[in-house]
Amino acid sequence: MVITMNRIEERLQQVKEKNEKAFITYMTAGLPDMQGCAELVKAQADAGIDVVELGIPFSDPVADGPVIQAASYKSIQQGTNLRKVFEMVEGIRTDGCQVPLVFMMYFNTVLHYGLEAFVERCAKVGVDGLIIPDLPFEEQKQLQDVIDRVAGAPILIQLVTPVSGDRIPMLLENARGFVYCVSSMGVTGQAADFHKNVVNYLQQVKDVSKIPVMMGFGIRTAADVIPMKDIIDGCIVGSHFINLMEENNYSTEAAKEYVSTFKKEMNA
Amino acid sequence: MVRNMSNKYYGEFGGQYVAETLMNTLAELEKAFEEAIADPKFWEEYNYYLKEYVGRETPLYLAERLSEKYGTKIYLKREDLNHTGAHKINNVIGQILLAKRMGKTKVIAETGAGQHGVATATGAALFNMECKVYMGSEDIERQHLNVMRMEMLGAEVVSVQSGSNTLKDATNEAIRTWAKEAEDTFYIIGSAVGPHPYPKMVKEFQKCISVEAKRQFMEKEGRLPDVVMACVGGGSNSIGMFADFIDEPGVELIGVEAAGMGIETGKHASAMALGKPGTLHGMRSYLLQDEDGNVQLAHSISAGLDYPGVGPEHAYLRDSGRAQYVSITDDEAMEALAELCKLEGIIPAIESAHALAYAFKKAKTMTKDQAIVLCLSGRGDKDVHTIESYFSGNGYLN
Repeated sequence: MVITMNRIEERLQQVKEKNEKAFITYMTAGLPDMQGCAELVKAQADAGIDVVELGIPFSDPVADGPVIQAASYKSIQQGTNLRKVFEMVEGIRTDGCQVPLVFMMYFNTVLHYGLEAFVERCAKVGVDGLIIPDLPFEEQKQLQDVIDRVAGAPILIQLVTPVSGDRIPMLLENARGFVYCVSSMGVTGQAADFHKNVVNYLQQVKDVSKIPVMMGFGIRTAADVIPMKDIIDGCIVGSHFINLMEENNYSTEAAKEYVSTFKKEMNA
Repeated sequence: MVRNMSNKYYGEFGGQYVAETLMNTLAELEKAFEEAIADPKFWEEYNYYLKEYVGRETPLYLAERLSEKYGTKIYLKREDLNHTGAHKINNVIGQILLAKRMGKTKVIAETGAGQHGVATATGAALFNMECKVYMGSEDIERQHLNVMRMEMLGAEVVSVQSGSNTLKDATNEAIRTWAKEAEDTFYIIGSAVGPHPYPKMVKEFQKCISVEAKRQFMEKEGRLPDVVMACVGGGSNSIGMFADFIDEPGVELIGVEAAGMGIETGKHASAMALGKPGTLHGMRSYLLQDEDGNVQLAHSISAGLDYPGVGPEHAYLRDSGRAQYVSITDDEAMEALAELCKLEGIIPAIESAHALAYAFKKAKTMTKDQAIVLCLSGRGDKDVHTIESYFSGNGYLN
């Protein structure tokens, strides 16, 4: 297995060298439509986003709260599927946009596409990472084996939660890209009432992690993460970003404004 | 550090396809469960409640008129005579005793038709626990009586409006809540589905069905039955009915899924007829899905069989050839239901009528000295509206 740096690792390395914090957004693929979604990815890249997470809509998103559930449902109704999202990514890359892209998806979508075919297609079109919330560490081997065989395959991002406790060293031992640090219990998109001991917990993860630690779940503005700024390497905004896009009719200007403001305030 | 995963799987099926948030919860549950089932005191308590509260053991009844008509002995394992009207209570008693042992004060459950919800609400009242039942908003409308029952028993029924507003969505919501509240909350899964150790746990607590049936049949016939069958939705009554016969190679095991309006119409609930392996609700198993890998809605006149997946051990029993899985349409099931009413004076649940309908077909290939043991998983009281609507030609309520 030859480990070459992929776009996520390269970008986060650059952010670190600039002594800055990274910013990641999540959006449901296919909204407002395929074309509009591609435009939003490129607009965010122009505004300085570090990584874009694209949610592949699934009928049964058990790890997601109401906002992403509704977005997923809407996107499926519009006919979004994995094949179309791959085509969209191909288009984004053809247009010269090199922003690191992560698919957030449920394992059934991968299984249904076929593990080999899926990983190969990711490598070919330029998907850099995968977040699969219903594929915990113990179930990853089958997919990881395929990833290890395919050149340019995406990184399987590890999630850590406030109740991971003694599992943390195991989860992080071979983790690559970044650690997705779930900051509150339950599902995506809850208010920023972070888990009681969130600072201690983030510190515990940071102490063990050899790679950047990104905090996610329930974040809206840079102010939400500034108290943890000295510990984490960046953060992820999902449900709030989707709400914002809904309110602003998926305007690329609104997306740019949000991303550049967040980055500026977080790094002020 | 790779853990030994072998006992979490049935062949390639099963596993723990859940969020990282739940992995320690599942580990804690597994440990408590293994300790409980190794503790004779736990079983003593479980058996006490099964006998004194549920009313076990249930009879193994030789349905004489049916046997005569179909030319083979048909024995009915009368789970319909349990308190709350179905086999569901066996499992609830087991899981709730485990919850108590773990120091949990709240239980949650998902329900489709409401039977598992009613059984859970019953157990929660009995053991003084707070109880929330998640139910799709569609199901709440069509199963109003069971909603009322749960509320009378002190449970809170939470309406789930997400996706198809039915059982699978209620299950999703229960899993989401559990991920948030696992510290003091025990999730009581009603079917032989979900992440490990749930399928194993449900089998353990439904096993009483086959342990009793085997002994009762021995007493009556001095041998083992030729065929053992049960209906399969998620697969709890069937895994309980099969459990003690799996290691008896001479006994043919048959699971009966719901073919709804016919497999060819696409409106059915036969995960193993046309489903392909996938992951849902924490397990890898056969799953009805569309061409994009989204979960397809199941259809059956019986709300209890209306589930797009199936328990992982059933998937394994199917692939290994140990059990055979067939399917029965809505119409065939309703015809069998009417027949049991008229010939034996028993109104069965529509779920159980699926197994009956196939028993009638199977009987034609058997001799009069052979015998079928069939799990009559529940009584039909809950279904009278659906039955009335069906026979008056008004279509389905479900």
